[in-house]
Amino acid sequence: MLYLSQAIGRPVRDKLGEPIGQVADLIVAIGDRYPPVTGIVVKTNGREIFLLWQSVSSLDAAGAVLSTTAIDISKFHQRPNEIRLKQDLMDRQIVDIDGRKVVRVNDLRLDEVEGALHLVAVDVGASGLLRRLGIERPWRVLARGIHRGVPEHYIDWEDVDPVERTIASVKLRVPHKGLAELHPADLATIIDQLSRNDRVGVIASLDDEAAADAIGEMEPETQVDIFEDLEPERAADILEEMDPDEAADLVADLSDESRLEILGLMEKEEAEEVQELMTYGEETAGGIMTTEFVAVPADLTAAETIDRLRELEPDAETIYYVYVTDTDNKLVGVLSLRDLIVSRPENCISTFMYAEPVAVKTGASQKEVTDLVARYNLLAVPVVDDEGRLEGIVTVDDAMDTLMPQPSKRRIPRLFSRSGTAER
Amino acid sequence: MKAPVLGFTPRVVNRVRFAAILGVLGPGLVSGFADNDAGGITTYSVAGVKYGYELLWVLLASQIVLFFTQEVGARLGLATGQGLTGLVRERFGVRWVTFLTITMLVANVGSIVAEFAGTAAALSLFNVAPAISAAIAATVVILLITRGSFGKVQYLFVAVGIGVSLAYFASALMAHPDWGNAFHSLVVPSLAHAGTTNGAYWLAVVATVGTTITPWGQAFIQSYCADKRLGPEDLVGERLDVGLGALLTNLIAGFIVVACAAALFSHQVTIDTNNPNAVAKIAEALRPFAGDAAQYLFAVGLLAASFLGLGVVPLTSAYAACEAFGWETGVDWRFRDAPAFYGLIIFFIVIAAFFVLIPGLPLVQVMFMAQVVNALLLPFVLVFVMVLASDKKLMGPLASGRFLQVVGWTGTALLVVLSLTLAVSSFTTF
Repeated sequence: MLYLSQAIGRPVRDKLGEPIGQVADLIVAIGDRYPPVTGIVVKTNGREIFLLWQSVSSLDAAGAVLSTTAIDISKFHQRPNEIRLKQDLMDRQIVDIDGRKVVRVNDLRLDEVEGALHLVAVDVGASGLLRRLGIERPWRVLARGIHRGVPEHYIDWEDVDPVERTIASVKLRVPHKGLAELHPADLATIIDQLSRNDRVGVIASLDDEAAADAIGEMEPETQVDIFEDLEPERAADILEEMDPDEAADLVADLSDESRLEILGLMEKEEAEEVQELMTYGEETAGGIMTTEFVAVPADLTAAETIDRLRELEPDAETIYYVYVTDTDNKLVGVLSLRDLIVSRPENCISTFMYAEPVAVKTGASQKEVTDLVARYNLLAVPVVDDEGRLEGIVTVDDAMDTLMPQPSKRRIPRLFSRSGTAER
Repeated sequence: MKAPVLGFTPRVVNRVRFAAILGVLGPGLVSGFADNDAGGITTYSVAGVKYGYELLWVLLASQIVLFFTQEVGARLGLATGQGLTGLVRERFGVRWVTFLTITMLVANVGSIVAEFAGTAAALSLFNVAPAISAAIAATVVILLITRGSFGKVQYLFVAVGIGVSLAYFASALMAHPDWGNAFHSLVVPSLAHAGTTNGAYWLAVVATVGTTITPWGQAFIQSYCADKRLGPEDLVGERLDVGLGALLTNLIAGFIVVACAAALFSHQVTIDTNNPNAVAKIAEALRPFAGDAAQYLFAVGLLAASFLGLGVVPLTSAYAACEAFGWETGVDWRFRDAPAFYGLIIFFIVIAAFFVLIPGLPLVQVMFMAQVVNALLLPFVLVFVMVLASDKKLMGPLASGRFLQVVGWTGTALLVVLSLTLAVSSFTTF
């Protein structure tokens, strides 16, 4: 076991014991579960030279010993998947995926795995900090004196995601789950803690869907900040993956310039949907509805309807009700998922649907929607225009948003967040 | 690019735009107001009582330097999105940041003591006992920080700052100052006392500059800009904000000096300045010359300014420490989840309150030592800031150009000399 801080600055000697310089940094190749050390940076006569790991016969807290006498510096090139531990990771911020928070690297722990030195863990505990300050030992003595330990805290390298753009982009090129495995709400909280530059880096490392889910969980002003910083093409791709009602709210908050650019880059159909949603007042049924819902003609059987659901793979919030519309797209009935499943497969849905579904007009106030949801215990309310054509649905979570006090959990104690100015 | 159809009414766009402008205006203003905290007001009043209008030129000069130091701090925040201690750790390593953070925390405890002393002095004019005022102030501030909404607190801060400005503007008017003389002293350095014995004049000069440009002020503006997620596109607005903040800071300081100069210096009133209650005595002494209202306005201004300092200094300290050591940027933000952050804030406030509560503790000495530690730390902070701000790799297009580098390093060199002067002379006179 070796800590990076123990190796940095130690003497480097050649095979014959002649001093060459000091250890300045170590290079690892990202990709494996535990990245192997592939090179060493030696500081000699005020400049840095790179040596391949093969030419190092040993490295420990006493320093490095080379297996050669002649140093060939011309052959080394830093490959795209390689990073420098001290320069790129030490003291930087990383995401602790398990603990779901952003922490700072105090030290890096290297271990022999299968005969080679690998980066195995990140030290984020007090012991690492004390070691870096060179007072770990006296502190431990002191702590033992008062029967206290020194808190140690390591995070396995696999549970770590760097946030700096340079390293994040290196990690992106290798198969790695990390952040994308987190629940979107947790991911949103992590991204919220990062600086603007780092946010863009993290978003860059996510696929469009994961990014859309996480952004959907953020505060409106954070969403806007991120979107204004993204490449317009990427922003458009992410918007397409978001729920149309969320996308519309977000797009409405963007600057005129970004809005035009991003909408122009979106798929035509999705862009039109978003724009249509934006025409409704913010506090009306039209403003909070989503245009993602399942509508079928009345002449289908239960089995056909279930097949249709399988085909469409609707999102969790929108699968519970199937709306029945006529050829003019007018709402004529509604079915619950339960009705479909308990019915005999060959039954025509018109025989068991509710023929007079509860619905609201697009101009209805948010309160009316909430009241309906509460009174009838609905999971979603259909929204129709003046002619009774089905325009969208308001799901229970969006309807209830008004009832919840806005910051549902304790807000981050920022010095001064913008939450006071852009409250919804 | 296809031209999209825009058949919709913009909903929140205008509001967000407005919020964005308001959002940029803030860090510089609050930072400027907070620079004129209890320590600042004490220093300015004493300067006015002792030297009349003579030190006004120092205010102008320190305002110009303040603008440039705050501008660099803001620019660092805009370009990197990180606070000062975070950047120092990444660039200069863990030892430097430990030194910087711990020294700053020690100095800040002294500053918070001064804020409590200011609160006590102001309330003593309304016949409130120091122990009670300290207890009230500590409770209110802790509640505000741990329970309050930070988005709203900033407006409170700005409102308080504006209140302070008006209070001192009014007190200055009531003291019937000689405006012509004041203006002349502002632009033409008068060195009548400069040659006098024991260098007290120069010490006052250094103290005036030192109370305006502080290490925590530097950390504050940067964290504030970063925390508001302002970015490179906000540079112009932020410079405007910093300029406005520096100007207002200077105006307030100027009115305080003018009020004291007109009412007290010109009537040869002397005040024992080695007393934590010196400001209260000054305010009391204002009454015969400027009227009852002036005394109370002066006290209210001091109270508000101390309160602003009480809010800002512990907050900045806790942020600096947490950022330096990577503590608890956790998911939920209850006290339990952020023990170090809240713990530090409460620790600072309670320790400082104790100094004021317990009679017989060396209050003046603590405040004085804090000033010296701040003065000694400032050169390090400024060198870090200047090096970081010139780093093209870190700052991108926001890196200091040649002009800002020359100005910045000149200002830094000047402040290093002043800081060393203060440190050396305070040890020899102490």
